[in-house]
Amino acid sequence: MIKAQQKPFDEIRGMLGNAKNVLILGCGTCVTICFAGGEKEVAILASLLRMAEDIDNGDRQFREHTVKRQCEWEFLDGAAEEVKNADLVVSLACGIGVQATAQRYPDKPVVPGVNTSFLGLILEQGIWSERCVACGNCVLDKTGGICPVARCSKSLLNGPCGGSVGGKCEISPEVDCAWQLIHDKLTAAGRAEELEEITPPKDWRTSQSGGPRKIVREDLRV
Amino acid sequence: MSEDTSRRVGAALVVGGGIGGMQAALDLAESGVKVYLVERGPAIGGRMAQLDKTFPTNDCSTCTISPRLVECGRHPNIEIMVNAEVTALSGSPGDFTATILRKPTYVNQDLCNGCTACIEACVYKRAISEFNEGLSRRTAVHILYPQAVPLKAVIDPTTCLWLKNGKCVKTCMKACGMNAIDFDQQPVTVDVEVGAVVLAPGFNVYNAKLSEEFGYGRYANVLTAIEFERLLSASGPTRGHIARPSDQQEPKRIAFFQCVGSRDQNHKYCSSVCCMYATKEAMLAKEHVPGVDCQIFFMDVRAFGKGYDAFFERAKRQGVKFTRCRISSLKEVPATKELLVAYQDEDGELKKETFDLVILSVGMEPPKGAAELAKITGIELNTYGFCQTSPLNPVETTRPGVFVCGTFAEPKDISESVTQASGAAAAALQTIGSGRGTLVEEKVYPRELAVEGEEPRIGVFVCHCGNNIAGVVNVPNVVEYAKGLPGVVHAENIIYACAADSLKALPDKIKEHGLNRVVIASCTPRTHEPLFQDTLREAGLNPYLFEMANIRDQCSWVHSKEPEKATDKSRALVKMAVWRASTLEPIHETPLDLNHQALVIGGGVSGMTTALSLADQGFKVFLVEQEKQLGGNLLHLSSTIQGVDPQAHVEFLVKRVESSALIEVATGMKVAKVEGFVGAFKTTLVAVDSPIQRLIEHGVTIVATGAQEYRGGEYLLGQHPNVITQGDLEARLSENGSGVAGARSVVMVQCVGPWGEKEFYCSRICCGVAVKNALRLKRLNPSTRVHVLYKEMRTYGFKEELYTKAREEGVIFVRYEDANPPVVQATETGLRVEVAEPILGERLELDPDLVVLSEALVPRMDSGALAQILKVPQSREGFFLEAHIKLRPVDFSSEGVFLCGAAHYPKFAGECVVQASAAAGRAATVLTKQALTVGGVVAEVTPPKCTACLTCVRVCPFKVPIINAEGVAEINPAECRGCGICASECPAKAIEILHYKDRQIVAKTDAMLSRV
Repeated sequence: MIKAQQKPFDEIRGMLGNAKNVLILGCGTCVTICFAGGEKEVAILASLLRMAEDIDNGDRQFREHTVKRQCEWEFLDGAAEEVKNADLVVSLACGIGVQATAQRYPDKPVVPGVNTSFLGLILEQGIWSERCVACGNCVLDKTGGICPVARCSKSLLNGPCGGSVGGKCEISPEVDCAWQLIHDKLTAAGRAEELEEITPPKDWRTSQSGGPRKIVREDLRV
Repeated sequence: MSEDTSRRVGAALVVGGGIGGMQAALDLAESGVKVYLVERGPAIGGRMAQLDKTFPTNDCSTCTISPRLVECGRHPNIEIMVNAEVTALSGSPGDFTATILRKPTYVNQDLCNGCTACIEACVYKRAISEFNEGLSRRTAVHILYPQAVPLKAVIDPTTCLWLKNGKCVKTCMKACGMNAIDFDQQPVTVDVEVGAVVLAPGFNVYNAKLSEEFGYGRYANVLTAIEFERLLSASGPTRGHIARPSDQQEPKRIAFFQCVGSRDQNHKYCSSVCCMYATKEAMLAKEHVPGVDCQIFFMDVRAFGKGYDAFFERAKRQGVKFTRCRISSLKEVPATKELLVAYQDEDGELKKETFDLVILSVGMEPPKGAAELAKITGIELNTYGFCQTSPLNPVETTRPGVFVCGTFAEPKDISESVTQASGAAAAALQTIGSGRGTLVEEKVYPRELAVEGEEPRIGVFVCHCGNNIAGVVNVPNVVEYAKGLPGVVHAENIIYACAADSLKALPDKIKEHGLNRVVIASCTPRTHEPLFQDTLREAGLNPYLFEMANIRDQCSWVHSKEPEKATDKSRALVKMAVWRASTLEPIHETPLDLNHQALVIGGGVSGMTTALSLADQGFKVFLVEQEKQLGGNLLHLSSTIQGVDPQAHVEFLVKRVESSALIEVATGMKVAKVEGFVGAFKTTLVAVDSPIQRLIEHGVTIVATGAQEYRGGEYLLGQHPNVITQGDLEARLSENGSGVAGARSVVMVQCVGPWGEKEFYCSRICCGVAVKNALRLKRLNPSTRVHVLYKEMRTYGFKEELYTKAREEGVIFVRYEDANPPVVQATETGLRVEVAEPILGERLELDPDLVVLSEALVPRMDSGALAQILKVPQSREGFFLEAHIKLRPVDFSSEGVFLCGAAHYPKFAGECVVQASAAAGRAATVLTKQALTVGGVVAEVTPPKCTACLTCVRVCPFKVPIINAEGVAEINPAECRGCGICASECPAKAIEILHYKDRQIVAKTDAMLSRV
């Protein structure tokens, strides 16, 4: 799923401008699960903002609301009343949700409260790790289910490089060398010889490098 | 036993209110037995209450014991008698009459509310504090310690000026607002009828003055370990500050001497706990005084319990020094009062060093008055003066129906005392049998008033607590203030809210004013909340519609010098309580059907003992064993350390199990799947060698799957025919020794295990087993040469005697060091063993006919899989992990699942039996209940808000939440413990804890911060 992290408090406060009535709008899906913008995070942020406002003798009012998914129009409609009463919306959704909210309510300033970090998973409670860069052309069949595009620092398709030391990447001893993992996995599966085949350069047009992407499924359209 | 028609009184007598007595009392009381808990001193708690921390976790002792104390004090089936002694015991099992002498405390225990006003007023302040081991003074009227249960003052007649010589103006009497002081009290003798007796009188600390060479009592800076424990304690005489008694200076060097009053000419046993407590005290000393040097002089480090070796290693890493020797001499340096210690170090060099403090690790002796207690209760004592117990069931005394637990049976630590206490309780329950439940009454309450939807009508009662609160806080002012708070329809002051007449009047006031919420501003919920909640129930109000404001412990006591601010704070605390009260909701607990059958996994001695104990208590048991035959490891044993024939015992157990109408046995089957929770488990069993399955429904589960000998390839095991294990030797010795006939020389190697890949842990039994088998070899042929190569001899408790005997009979013990293990080689003629002897500094060469390896006991191979199926944790070694190492040694943290025997940790057969009985006793506390009460303060999920993020599933320490078929979190109220972790972590705020909902907590903080 999408993983995000809340922006520093001062940065969020700095985006409030002259707004008097601020709505903190949470999202109940991806950012809830990664503890960045669910109902609890909305409540904590709102409390912090109120305290800061009190300390500075400010008069801003903060309201809290969380929708199931900010990237869906119907769910966003459920926040219409709250948005209407606000001068500004701090969206704690991912970049998709922030844009959707801004598009749905074009006359309201919508600012992002989180940084959308990556597509990944939870390793253990409190630790998340990147797994996919949405390159649009999956190669996991060839690499033992370990993505070199997302997990090799250089996105090499024929690894490892000379920077792989003791199974770790040269960028940090904390980062596993994806190609070491791939090599170990395929060796264990008796498929090591497949690695001798040179993979030609990837066609990056399916990735963001090819410009904004869009999927159209005529069979599903109503 | 159940067919016996003789009288079975549904009550038990427990003698001694230490941790063992408390545990036995609680288990019995929970199982529906009326308990008379007789304590000689003025409060229960015993030695554990005096300790600062407990090994091997260094958990605070008070924090651990306090909840137990409170539970004992509150339990409706436990009657605590303090200042009391048993003076006679007549009758037979099931039907005893005990005579109890209750000595006067000179304070009416029914009236005293523990407010301490009398203590403040007492003019005699020079009495020796027994609780602080004489390191501080107390008043003549006193409360033993701040957390004491019962929390009642007592007057010590030996120091009270009025009682001693009639010369006092009786200031205590004037100070007491309850008129509780009663100098006319006389001793009272009462007879109670009981079905069984549990003796838990504890131990006596060795009088170190008798070991004159250590200077205790002559040299100011020589203390006993229990005195040092009080110095370490934050509630002790120095508030946790370590100071030399001679000049109150912080010590820079501390020495600990082990085995003072243990393992000597007068004490031919090991006290079992001193190595670990000295290690603990040294570690704590280092915490209290950074940089202090701690050196422990010892003979063997007896770290034989679960997690003890790791603890010992941790101490070494923290810089505690261990020196293997008994000191040569100790002298005081007159000018500085430092202590000059002469000793020979391991290289043979004579050293002299000075220390600021010397701590004597004093051993355990039989409790004071043991002989008299034995005479009164008709039991026999052993040669050391401890209780004589049955070899394979150490909870049994020589008198049927009278059981023993704790250190009175043999020196032991807290967790083993607790285990034995539960075991003794189970044995007592077996004796009481059908009498269970006949003497306890359930309180009947009026129908609960429905308050849902009503506007809050709050009543506020502000307690004076005599002078305790009112002497500082302006109570009338707080009452007037409360009257103006939103929702408050009545407020008044009350002299003692907890006094019997106040409690009696409360329901009337609730009715008179139509109250639907009650706030009492007084002392602490810790001691008084259940009392007040019970009174609410008597008035027909749900007990959760109650809130306390602690304006005594957290206000008047700590702000006694600032009365005005204290009054302000009391007002704030009352306001917070009132705001919260208006958000409170009634919580209903519902009964849930409970299956009264137990499933016991494992048919060894532990499993069979558990099954029999439960069956004797009248419960149905399903016993599953993976092998084709019952008996487990004991089947392969030819002798036990206690000198009993194990095969006869196994045969006896198997016969009893198979003939019991209440026990169903399934051999050749194992557990494949477990569903459900306490009271309603559904377990699928599969046959080991066929696809046959069975579904068992049961209320509790007991894990008794045992352990196995390691048998790795070290020291040529499996490669040379004359290298065998102690297990193999057992088999060879069983055929009248014919299997070892040719062995003229035998070498035993201790501590053989997978220590290359795993952290070392002590298997506890191997030293004892080696000594036992060495003696058997000597008995078969006294000229057989037996060498035991060891790291530490850990013959704890009375097993020390066997160690002494082995040396007397010529068994040679050779120590080796970890860095220099023995080498076993095959030669042309046989075997060559080489070992570096550290004292001689030489390499010994031995050519034995037989090498016997004392292999570690390791967890069974399949224990990991079983742990996953049962959702229970394992320790680092892979043994099953209990809920609390000290106080819940046979419970898993998942409710209704228990463990015993070697599955918990390696142990001797007798110890397995005790633990098996204990597990049965604990299981009985669940099975006895007619139904489970479900609900109360538990977590509740709001499904539409749940995003199935799995956070609750991951953070719950009890593994209760699941994501159900609808894709949302589900928390079974029957399993939930109400710890609140899931509620605080849930990122979607889909989980709340009843009674502690966000708005109920925020109401208090809002009240605190609001400017109104």
